[in-house]
Amino acid sequence: FVGCRMEASCLELALEGERLCKAGDCRAGVSFFEAAVQVGTEDLRTLSAIYSQLGNAYFYLHEYAKALEYHHHDLTLARTIGDLLGEAKASGNLGNTLKVLGNFEEAIVCCQRHLDISRELNDKVGEARALYNLGNVYHSKGKNVANAGTHDPGELPDDVKNALQKAAKYYEENLSIVTELGDRAAQGRAFGNLGNTHYLLGNFRSAVLAHEQRLLIAKEFGDRSAERRAYSNLGNAYIFLGEFETAAEYYRRTLQLARQLKDRAVEAQACYSLGNTYTLLQDYEKAIDYHLKHLVIAQELHDKIGEGRACWSLGNAYTALGNHDQAIHFAGRHLEISREVGDRSGELTARLNLSDLQMVLGLSYSTNNSMMAESHAVENSVNGGRPRGRRYSMENMELMKLTPEKVPNWN
Amino acid sequence: SQPLAGGQAAELQSKVVPSKQIIHSDNMEMEPETMETKSVTDYFSKLHMGSLVYSCTSKRKNK
Repeated sequence: FVGCRMEASCLELALEGERLCKAGDCRAGVSFFEAAVQVGTEDLRTLSAIYSQLGNAYFYLHEYAKALEYHHHDLTLARTIGDLLGEAKASGNLGNTLKVLGNFEEAIVCCQRHLDISRELNDKVGEARALYNLGNVYHSKGKNVANAGTHDPGELPDDVKNALQKAAKYYEENLSIVTELGDRAAQGRAFGNLGNTHYLLGNFRSAVLAHEQRLLIAKEFGDRSAERRAYSNLGNAYIFLGEFETAAEYYRRTLQLARQLKDRAVEAQACYSLGNTYTLLQDYEKAIDYHLKHLVIAQELHDKIGEGRACWSLGNAYTALGNHDQAIHFAGRHLEISREVGDRSGELTARLNLSDLQMVLGLSYSTNNSMMAESHAVENSVNGGRPRGRRYSMENMELMKLTPEKVPNWN
Repeated sequence: SQPLAGGQAAELQSKVVPSKQIIHSDNMEMEPETMETKSVTDYFSKLHMGSLVYSCTSKRKNK
């Protein structure tokens, strides 16, 4: 009788956990699922479902180590009871979690297992989902290697290019299945990520085409978040196509939706993008206007990195306008913030900026010289003397060509 | 932070090419992940319900 009560209690707790998670309260859901595990059950399928949901809840709560643990339990259990569909699902979830944790090779193995089983079971929906997950893993892998690398902008190392091309291939395979299945929501997701993959590969026209499809589907569903994402991604692509006016138009729509959706962080990002775009358009007044808007929100959200970025951008824009007092003010703030957040490369940037500005203002050569010497000391301690995470874009390619003349030992 | 790191290059020639002193932030907007879902009710078919009831009944008999 006790065993029976336990089964019922475990099930009741799990059902309440499911209800709470569906309602969006994953934290409370987790408590019920964990209580259900404590009570225990002899039914391994029920336990597998609980582990799986615990894993997903922790995933959504960004507690990936816990997510990994439970999806792993689920996988072991599914294999033990010979539940092939359950094994496929657990493998997919484990793969997604490993991807977020940066373990791409194991993530690929898991997502591939999800794909293989889905094909074995002739499960088209599962197959499509596994392909999307695989695309995501290769996309992340490519992006990760690109960020960690010391390659020059404009050149994609072979491993980055290979990973991104594989991602594109998986998204396209996914697209052909979900199109066949008439699953528009899945098509929207695939177009969005395919667009971003083309963007990283430097295929900006293809990126635009994919994001336009994404936009169309977002509007079909009235999904304003997805619509905003598409505008933002279209803006990014048009920047690299050199079509700044079009980019500005898409960023303005991003900003408008961000305000409607009352998402301050996204609003700040849109202001920052607009500030940068108007800088490219050499409309520095507007650029300053948007960078100031970005600065205000960054301060409001206590986003020190964003604040530093805003100060840096404002320093540049004021320099371009010849307003050196304001330029020095913001360059100085940038230096302070870079020190505060321990951003060594930001600190170097700010020092160089200040030394340049002081040179313009005709301060003594010796002061300037010592500032430069200090900058080099910082530079050499930052990532072994090489800047990290530089974008491999057309934009910076031009910048980098100019750089070595001014700082001969840059590389 | 990445944009600032990239900004080093831009800074250095800020007066050379003012219009190019920009670092475009790399804020690609990705689509959400899709997780596979299971539910305790997935397996709670009539057959399964039967086996649970059976297991409870048999346990009770054993007592």
